[in-house]
Amino acid sequence: MIELVHLVKRFGELAAVNDISLTVSRGEFFAVLGPNAAGKTTTIRILAGLIKPTSGSARLAGFDVQQQPMEARRRLAFVPDFPFLYDKLTPWEFFRFTGQLFQMSEAQIQSAARKWVARFNLEPFLGKLIEGLSHGSRQRVAIVSALLHAPEVFVLDEPMVGLDPHHSRVLKDVLKEQSLQGVTIFISTHQLSVAEEMADRIGIIHQGRLVAVGTREDLRRQSGQNGALEQTFLALTAQEANFAEESIGVAR
Amino acid sequence: MPSPASNSILARPLAAEAPALPPLALLFRVNALQAWRRVKAVRERSRLLSSLIGFFIVGYVALAFWLFRYGLEFVITHFPGLGSLLVERLLFLLFAFLFVLLLFSNLVISYTNLFRNRETTFLLSLPVPPQIIFRWKLVESALLASWAFLFLIAPLLAAYGLTNRVAWHFYPATVLLIALFIVLPAVAGSWLAVNIARYLDRRAFQVATVSVALLLLVGAAFWLKAEQITDEMFETRVLAVLDKLLLKTRFAQFALLPSYWLSAGVLQWSEGALAAACFFGLVLLSHSLFFGCLAFTRMGGLFYEAVSTVQSRGNVFGQWTWFRQWQRRQSRFSYGRGAIERAVSLLPAVPVDVQALLVKDLRVFWRDTTQWGQTLVLFGLLAAYIINLRHFSQQLTNPFWVHLVSYLNLGACSLNLATLTTRFVYSQFSLEGKRIWIVGLAPLGLVRVVKTKYWLASLASLFVTLGLIWLSCHMLKLPLERMAYYVGAVSIMTFTLNGLAVGLGALYPNFKEDNPGKIVSGFGGTFCLVLSFLYIVASVTLLAVGSPWSWTRFGESSVGLMLGSWAGFALLSVLLGWLPLRLGLRKVAEFEV
Repeated sequence: MIELVHLVKRFGELAAVNDISLTVSRGEFFAVLGPNAAGKTTTIRILAGLIKPTSGSARLAGFDVQQQPMEARRRLAFVPDFPFLYDKLTPWEFFRFTGQLFQMSEAQIQSAARKWVARFNLEPFLGKLIEGLSHGSRQRVAIVSALLHAPEVFVLDEPMVGLDPHHSRVLKDVLKEQSLQGVTIFISTHQLSVAEEMADRIGIIHQGRLVAVGTREDLRRQSGQNGALEQTFLALTAQEANFAEESIGVAR
Repeated sequence: MPSPASNSILARPLAAEAPALPPLALLFRVNALQAWRRVKAVRERSRLLSSLIGFFIVGYVALAFWLFRYGLEFVITHFPGLGSLLVERLLFLLFAFLFVLLLFSNLVISYTNLFRNRETTFLLSLPVPPQIIFRWKLVESALLASWAFLFLIAPLLAAYGLTNRVAWHFYPATVLLIALFIVLPAVAGSWLAVNIARYLDRRAFQVATVSVALLLLVGAAFWLKAEQITDEMFETRVLAVLDKLLLKTRFAQFALLPSYWLSAGVLQWSEGALAAACFFGLVLLSHSLFFGCLAFTRMGGLFYEAVSTVQSRGNVFGQWTWFRQWQRRQSRFSYGRGAIERAVSLLPAVPVDVQALLVKDLRVFWRDTTQWGQTLVLFGLLAAYIINLRHFSQQLTNPFWVHLVSYLNLGACSLNLATLTTRFVYSQFSLEGKRIWIVGLAPLGLVRVVKTKYWLASLASLFVTLGLIWLSCHMLKLPLERMAYYVGAVSIMTFTLNGLAVGLGALYPNFKEDNPGKIVSGFGGTFCLVLSFLYIVASVTLLAVGSPWSWTRFGESSVGLMLGSWAGFALLSVLLGWLPLRLGLRKVAEFEV
């Protein structure tokens, strides 16, 4: 599970994440939405332990990301928006490398890799250098390498970018299955259809604050819009923008 | 090309696999494999290029060894007693300067490697302790920063050993001493990088680095300014003159400098004073172990904190009110034209679309401190050296030396230019990368884009090279006709080197990379560097051999030799400047965006 408690991250004067508190249960599929520069990626980077929060705390599978970083990272799988891959390795060498970093035995690596490689249709590329792969294939390599160690929490930042419709479907199915098996999924996306179709709960981050969180129905009620998620999202972010402008006006 | 995929990869027997390695060993293995495949890729892509690089390396080592050997023999045999003293001081000085350069190089490479490297970010999200990541990055930075140092001093130390007829064990002992020595600037550089990252943001770091480099440059130019020595002093008080000359180099013998321990260890070993040499070796060993151990065991926490700080900071100056106010003023958007746009619009007969391209290239260059910072340091060093030539005006009365120094200056100026054309101009076309569709689809056309880049790079670099060559001629008090000769030569070389860089850049583009350093380290960049170096060596030799002004030691140049040399220089310039540019433009004309 994921627990964010009064999480704040400031970049100079800017509060990129402003007092976010949230709990995502074990096996829950949580999607986070928000306009550009809302604070989604910063929240994810704190979760992945890449940056320290200014205040507050983040816990993964019961372990504090800052206090018990190794315990937390062993249970985490993270696929960033632009994943890093070693260009001069083959996908298979890359899988073995990441598996070994997670202290998996060779047998475990072989078994997990075979399963995910088949699922994501990566067999034809296993012996080719990563530098020669297309954007979508690279994305699939990153996803498979993240899944190898059977994580308890899976955090993905814009994972559908570059995937063709077939592999988008495969990824959605895999994420749903993982969620049903108890893996907590935390996904940031601009594709509202993904959130609408897959997520148990959706959070909307705007200007660093978690302005709404709940099921699709909860959000519809909160926004007063009965249409698609797009209208709900636009209404909620517009409400928040108006509120922010009014607050600034009062302060002046 | 790697073999096509097959199920055999998955079907490998498990028993044949090696047991799991610790994370640091895994990182070593993966990166070593990557490095090996890069080398193999160059070899597979072009046998010509790999042979050329091999020839270049062997040629450099052989030539450097011969020059050092000849120089050391000359000094020792022509100046009995004094020669050994001069050589000894030379070693102290060389290692002191190399220590400073290694420190600077380690600092810059460590900063980039620790804080601007995607592998670091990737590893930080995995269960790899920051201490292990720091260890790996420290070793990687030390290797990247030190290989050129080893390449530079290996022929010198071999020549020194042979000249002094040292015992065989001098060579392995020297290798050991150097291995211990390079640990110290590596640790200091990475420690400085981590602490700079904790307190300075990227912009402030760049400004601070360039400022410190410039300060060091000015300080070195002032401190090492040559003394005025009269002929009378030379004839009557040689030792006093020598003492005066060496006075300012005594800093290299400061006993707490690691370079002093290395130099003293090498010198003592060569003289057979093994106990004294071992003492200096042990001093190096104890410091390397102590600081190396600190870096390997205590820097992880600081490194992680620094990474988080680098990725979190707005601006370190943001704590000051005046800076925030200035930033707010700056952030007020103006629809008017900027200073660069106004300056470029003054250029006569340049169409608006070409102006837009010029403005874009100039802005990108100006906003990348690393680019103009390196340019400034390279040409600043050369300018400082040339300005100091005026102090030798009394000694440089012999036409032979004036001749020699003027041609060496031409070579140094061109070599600096070649470094810049390979590093910055070559990558220009590739850097359009993912933006190629903007300029590629515009009515301007890619051919004109490349031509504009060529003219911009050539004219900008001509401005600098002409300035330096004029300064060199002025300091050497050369008459107007000889100044015109050098101006002509350096102009042709400037256009040729830029033509070569732009042409090869268009012939071998790399649109996948955004980092100019990585673009240059590929096939075309290496080819460009090697060809530029060979062109400069050949051109300066041809121009010197065909000099219209006699080398008094070698007699008058014949007209035939002179014309032949000039023709050779012109032919080389066409082959290596015009031809690659032409081929590059032809390829670009058929380029599919």
